[in-house]
Amino acid sequence: MTTLALIRSSPNVTDGSAQAADLELKVDVCIIGSGAGGAVTAAKLAAAGVEVLILEEGGYYTSQDFTMRERDVVAKLYQEGMTRATADAGITILQGRAVGGTTVVNWTTSFRTPEDVVAHWKEKHHVGGFAYADLTPHYDAIERRLAIAKVEYASLNQNNKTLYDGCKKLNWDVDTLKRNVFACMQTGMCGLGCPVNAKRSMLVTLIPDAIDAGAKLLFRARADRFEVEAGEIKRLKGTLLDAEGKKPTGKSVTVTAKRFIVSGGALNSPALLLRSDLNDNGRVGLRTFLHPVVGSAGVYDFAIDPFRGAPQSAASHHFAHRKDDVGFFLEAAPWYPSVAAGAVPGFGKSHEDVMNGAAKQALHIAITIDGFHDDVPGGRVTLRPSGAPLLDYPITPKLWDTFRFAQKRLAEVQFASGAKSVSTLHDPPVVMATLQEAAIDAARWEIGSVPVFTAHQMGGCAMGDDPKSSVVRSEDLRHHTIKNLWVMDGSVFPTSLGVNPQESIYGLVGLMSSRFLAQK
Amino acid sequence: MNRRTLLKRGLLGGAVLLLGGGGTLALLPSKSNGAPTEPLLALNASAFNVLVAVAARVVTAKGADPIAIAQGVDKVLSTAVVETRADINNLLGLFENALPAFLFDARVTPFTRLDPDAQDRVLEAWRNSRLIVRRTGYHALRKLCLATWYGSEASWAPIGYAPPSGLNVMAYPDSKMGTPEWVAEQKPSPG
Repeated sequence: MTTLALIRSSPNVTDGSAQAADLELKVDVCIIGSGAGGAVTAAKLAAAGVEVLILEEGGYYTSQDFTMRERDVVAKLYQEGMTRATADAGITILQGRAVGGTTVVNWTTSFRTPEDVVAHWKEKHHVGGFAYADLTPHYDAIERRLAIAKVEYASLNQNNKTLYDGCKKLNWDVDTLKRNVFACMQTGMCGLGCPVNAKRSMLVTLIPDAIDAGAKLLFRARADRFEVEAGEIKRLKGTLLDAEGKKPTGKSVTVTAKRFIVSGGALNSPALLLRSDLNDNGRVGLRTFLHPVVGSAGVYDFAIDPFRGAPQSAASHHFAHRKDDVGFFLEAAPWYPSVAAGAVPGFGKSHEDVMNGAAKQALHIAITIDGFHDDVPGGRVTLRPSGAPLLDYPITPKLWDTFRFAQKRLAEVQFASGAKSVSTLHDPPVVMATLQEAAIDAARWEIGSVPVFTAHQMGGCAMGDDPKSSVVRSEDLRHHTIKNLWVMDGSVFPTSLGVNPQESIYGLVGLMSSRFLAQK
Repeated sequence: MNRRTLLKRGLLGGAVLLLGGGGTLALLPSKSNGAPTEPLLALNASAFNVLVAVAARVVTAKGADPIAIAQGVDKVLSTAVVETRADINNLLGLFENALPAFLFDARVTPFTRLDPDAQDRVLEAWRNSRLIVRRTGYHALRKLCLATWYGSEASWAPIGYAPPSGLNVMAYPDSKMGTPEWVAEQKPSPG
């Protein structure tokens, strides 16, 4: 059996932090990023015999490193050590940064893109390059490779059961979820890197597939900018980072390739294009979507133990389609002490008291579906002085209205499932013994008074058939004007999805990497 | 802080934050709360000193050591982008600086010299402020301190938290999972 440690030390894998000299590399195809988009592309291209180099800014960590301690792993596995936020600090951004990308730390929820979303893209965003049926075989294939399967109600932890049961009592649509796990041991540690490799992330599946098929991987290498000559990218300039990924080592990497595929994900992919001055039509970075999330804490008189069991395994899309109002869906959230402590309001004794009651608390979230209404247009990625991405994402009045409405529904479902009290996460919180809609309305709905976070980043390099309103072509995800540049990741979605995004990326990139090969 | 960030916080809010790194009303010096036990990676010495005082009020759990918490926050911030690090240093300067404190709270005593109840009132004033920069600043410092404390195992017993133990990791080797036949499977599966 080939262990990941052996793969990591194979001749095909290079640690950028350990290089004593600048690197000059020449390949056929250079893929920037090793997450959901980059891994699928790399595995398919390498299997077809294409010479592939994957560049990854993050570290190459495996289950040996996943200690189940936030203190050990957050700095290793999350962008900016989980301090990434929108420009006005209104939304905390949870996004992965490692070989395998966000798939290493996601909560395993797997949905195909809803058909009505693809239809909406075609109708409103000029996405005519593929039909839904084109995606289907790629969903089928990835579901087999990643063991994606629907879980049974009996396997839900109490955090998810209360959500499921509450929705059932209210006659709301609810279902158990599909997850990309095999023989899951229910450690609850999905967000900190699966310690037993039950989660079939890119780290343990398609990245090893790609390397076994001959792909090369250079990690701890940050892509800084493309050099463009005569309408083509000639080379990529990058920086090698130290072992912790905090500082440049002083060494650089230069990659010369026939074709470049950007798979850095939302925020990072548009930032690379912006650093490279590839923004002739002004669309790069626009329409970045987050599925902004608000949460609700229900207190029960029985054990919830939200930290045990699969963290996310039920969802309700009952409110996903609200016509002129913004839709949202309900899920359960994992409970890790550090992250939860930041979400629990207050400080000192009052905060401590809430934390000490965690074992009887359920944490449910409403995930808003942005990008389908003119007055919820998403955000725009720009560059900080250091060159790092900065997302300006205004929370518009319509989005605040959605948060209010969703907060009431969260309380409703928690009371329906037996909660004795329900608290919003405002600081100070609204604490209710019964549903108090007026109290929720009266709370301060403004930045810095209620925590909002995102675990789903999408858009910023939108696909479409109109070069004036999009960045890449929808038929193959090739850049409209740069003939040897593709973007293959979640940044190409022209709206959010209304479902957790990983499988949508796998399916679309699976299709488009097949088309890429057909163009060879 | 760049101009765009400043504008996003509202011109007044951005200017307020810049006060944290700039003009002071030097009526009283800061009170020392103890030195870092390791070299600082992201915070400057004066910001670290203020953060120790903030941590002492934010985390009051038994066994919590504000110096250790501030040291942990410094480590977390070492993974943040340079602009975020600068913002947090300025923010802590603003907490301490008597000039903005005088302007907004009619307070001329540095935060580190206040008694604990008065420090709590400063935190509450920031939490309830009309300025976005003060509300988000309060939450940034609060979250950094709390996340650091609850990241330590010493905090877990009262909340009933413990990661799984006794996992049979040998049954789940650190290896590639599954096989790559999927690459060749491009047709819809039968049935």
